[in-house]
Amino acid sequence: MSAIERLTPERAKAATGYFARLARWNVYEILFWLALAGMYFVPNVDLVLMSQIFIWGLFAMSLDILLGYRGIPSLGHAAFFGVGAYVAGYCGKFGWTEPISALVLAMAIAAVVGWLTGKLVQRVTGVGLLMVTLGLNLILYDLVHRSTDVTGGDDGMQGIVIAPVLGLFRFDIFGRTAFWYALIIAFILFVIARAVVKSPFGLALVGARENPRRMIMLGAPVEGDVSRAFALGAALAGAAGALLTQTTQFVSPNTLSFQRSADVLVILIIGGTGRLYGGFIGALVFLILRDWLAAISPVYWYFWIGLLLVVVVSFFRKGLLPSLETLLNRWKPSKADGPTA
Amino acid sequence: MKIAMKIAASLLVATSAAVLSGFGASAQETVKIGILQSYSGITSLGGQQTDSTVKLFMQKYGDTAGGKKIELVRRDTTGPNPEVAKRLVQEVVTREKVQVLIGPDYTPNTLAAAPILMEAKVPSFVTGAATTGIVGEKSKYSTRTFFAVPQLCKPLAAYAVKNGWKRVFVAVADFAPGHDCEKYFIEALKDASGTLAGNLRIPVANPEFSGYMQRIRDAKADALFIFMPIGELSIGILRAVNDSGLKASGIKIMGTGDITDETYIDAVGDAALGTITTGIYSTQHDSALNKEFVKDYVALNGAKPRIGWGAIATWDAMRMTYDALNAQAGAKFDPDKFAAFIHGRTFESPRGPITIDKANGDIVQNIYIRRVDKVNGVLQNVEIESFKDVGFK
Amino acid sequence: MSSILTVLFNGVAYGFLLFIMSVGLSVTLGMMNFVNLAQASFSMFGGYVKVTAMQSFGVPFLASLPIVFIVIGALSIVVERLIFRHFYNTDDLTQVLLTIGLVFMSIAIATYAWGGTYQRIDMPSWLTGQRDVLGLTLETYRIFLIAIGAAMAIILVLGLERTQLGAMVRACVDNRRVAGACGLNTELIFALTFAIGGGLAGLGGALSANLLGLDPNFPLRYLVYLLIIVSVGGMGTISGTLIAGLALGIADVMGKYYFPQFGGFVIYVLTVACMLWRPHGLLGRQT
Repeated sequence: MSAIERLTPERAKAATGYFARLARWNVYEILFWLALAGMYFVPNVDLVLMSQIFIWGLFAMSLDILLGYRGIPSLGHAAFFGVGAYVAGYCGKFGWTEPISALVLAMAIAAVVGWLTGKLVQRVTGVGLLMVTLGLNLILYDLVHRSTDVTGGDDGMQGIVIAPVLGLFRFDIFGRTAFWYALIIAFILFVIARAVVKSPFGLALVGARENPRRMIMLGAPVEGDVSRAFALGAALAGAAGALLTQTTQFVSPNTLSFQRSADVLVILIIGGTGRLYGGFIGALVFLILRDWLAAISPVYWYFWIGLLLVVVVSFFRKGLLPSLETLLNRWKPSKADGPTA
Repeated sequence: MKIAMKIAASLLVATSAAVLSGFGASAQETVKIGILQSYSGITSLGGQQTDSTVKLFMQKYGDTAGGKKIELVRRDTTGPNPEVAKRLVQEVVTREKVQVLIGPDYTPNTLAAAPILMEAKVPSFVTGAATTGIVGEKSKYSTRTFFAVPQLCKPLAAYAVKNGWKRVFVAVADFAPGHDCEKYFIEALKDASGTLAGNLRIPVANPEFSGYMQRIRDAKADALFIFMPIGELSIGILRAVNDSGLKASGIKIMGTGDITDETYIDAVGDAALGTITTGIYSTQHDSALNKEFVKDYVALNGAKPRIGWGAIATWDAMRMTYDALNAQAGAKFDPDKFAAFIHGRTFESPRGPITIDKANGDIVQNIYIRRVDKVNGVLQNVEIESFKDVGFK
Repeated sequence: MSSILTVLFNGVAYGFLLFIMSVGLSVTLGMMNFVNLAQASFSMFGGYVKVTAMQSFGVPFLASLPIVFIVIGALSIVVERLIFRHFYNTDDLTQVLLTIGLVFMSIAIATYAWGGTYQRIDMPSWLTGQRDVLGLTLETYRIFLIAIGAAMAIILVLGLERTQLGAMVRACVDNRRVAGACGLNTELIFALTFAIGGGLAGLGGALSANLLGLDPNFPLRYLVYLLIIVSVGGMGTISGTLIAGLALGIADVMGKYYFPQFGGFVIYVLTVACMLWRPHGLLGRQT
């Protein structure tokens, strides 16, 4: 991460080929994705849980675009997730059962909603931004929750049919198709997001996060970036929502709840912001722990999840990934470039 | 970036160990019963009540049925959360190889889980979801031991008109079950030739009722019909009805039994006195079977939390599970025979006689009109009238 | 006419209730710039302390209020010394995560200690029912809420915004080192302010429990309301919190009376509109 933060726009301009180098994949990234895919072959693994981890990871990554790269904290990110989920739900309900095209449509609509949200909030910062995003999320939830005739309301939407992926792979009760479908879509979108954040646009986002005034003086369109970052983040969140609808063949207002907005923030911060991978790591840790705690201590698992949060912010203040990175840097003085914190 | 990824990869390996759990083969001659209820947060009472009831049942009737040992697999749905509930159903069905399921609770959870249960042929009991039509054709292995919304909403309309409360104001929680109930009640009210004095949909996240109270008061109705989900909304509205002086103005307060559920009626306090509700079960129900049930339950689990409807729905689910297993004693577990045995069955429950509909597994039961009274200093739903064998449509 | 006045009165009373609930958060967030979502948990514990004092020890209602203030104030000093003080210099999101973690823990603790069900809340008979005031029939408890809310507002505005103590707290927050160099005991001042904020949150819970219901999920259910009131009012102003509480309270009750079909929308729409119009809140300092 420090690679990104240390770079100033000036250097970026000067260095041709810089972005190409930045975008090069390293062996650990490849290993990470191979390991995720390898989970499939672990005996007795909970494939459905894994597919939901990919979905949450993708969702957290979408928030990372806003929070980690542009520095926009959103307390209403579930709104975009829910838009994607409901678009996919309506597609499945009204005969557009082919999942991949429905997913693309869900992303497009979520992106438009995100872009409009960005337009609305582009001059608002800090607490105002938190409250506006939270408020919009609550309004959307309320609307969907109350409109029983249109959305099925609290009971959820019934009659969603999702055709087999590519006409070949039916969503089975073991979650095999869901596993691969969620993983591959998450990977493709990750590759796209990675390319974007490592492009001049991504750097401009970081620049606007670090020092908006300077970016304005450089002639960079800081406000326009907000709506574009929102559109991108919302599209990815919408994809995550659509994935959830398609892998579960169900959608309920729960997809837009404030609880989900809070959870995704927690997941991202546990994993670490500004890395794209933080969301996936956070999702792995958070969901597996939550599932495990809820199984061994059904009544009191809230306590342990709360303790986890307190421990994470106490000892891994920047999130797991960056904190461990700092630790490793200390062990390897040759590569050290100072604590990132 | 490099280091970050190194850590990510090693973290992944470390956590993969955590995903692994259990071991494949299950011993012969056991039947695994999955219990999918909410144990956490706002909805934790449901799960605790289910557990208490299962414990009582197994204490009384042992942990074997039909020669098979009963093994329980508990999971926390965390409330109305179909994403989690469906995953847990998949998990207990495909990995734990659960053969019978009690739950999941809540309508969205039940609907999301239905295709899995259908495909895996796992008989399930709906003990905590009341929306019309969620058992039946699309989930023919399901049996409802709870109630269906029209069962509770319709009888009260006839009862009100019969007692001369012709102009009724309807206030429901503004979400799907509330809309459902509003429709059925207004229909039944028209059939009984009562008139609608007005209606209100009250948001489910709502700490303040005074604006609504004034509106109801302005309508000058004979009676107010309330449908609210179990929880703080019910407490809030009954207290508001009392504090605002609406009740003192002479309007009759009635509603579905959720609003005076035993698990929190003490929190409503004396504001609940005199409220007329419909219910499927009251601990005050006068039968030998119920007296024994209440006595045993209290002896095992203590007097608090008090016994609510979830307990009776679970009890009857356990009752039918044991009976169905006994009926196929000595044979391998057969889900089709299991469901066929239960559907169409009539038996005496602590709540009174119930019948499981043969065609679609929904419940037919007596609906009681109850009034909140103090019995030995404790607020109770006292049954004052009953409607026999009320259907689920 | 009388119903309009009654609705207005109810709105004002609800506004004071919102103020009473959120003023504790307003103090820690506004004065100390610490995002303490666990104030909602302090409110819940305040409610439980009141219930326990009244039911197990037979303390009368009014006497239970100072007990709540002291117990929860002491509790928040403990939490501040043990945990919060290590987080004064962290960013908002870290504080949010830390305190939401504490909220989760508090829910489990309350479930363990008092059970998962709703508590029975007894109110003294002189606070229940209705009274006739100037030809209107008003709820007694709402009259009480307005009286106690107004008293709290006056004491706090005069006590924290216009006094030396208030100036000291703000000096500590704005520049801790300089404040310390000027001879202020910054640790003590922070701990005291936390105690006041916590105690106020506890009072909020004790005064609202009979209207809102008291169970372990209390903090999560009302957290959003606290955030809305404090941020609409503006960080760092108690009078802003009061104005926001009253404005939203009146709008909510009026909205429910005149346009019930819009349900709970009114409060959210107003919040969004207000935050777009003035991102730092009604009385917030623009930075």
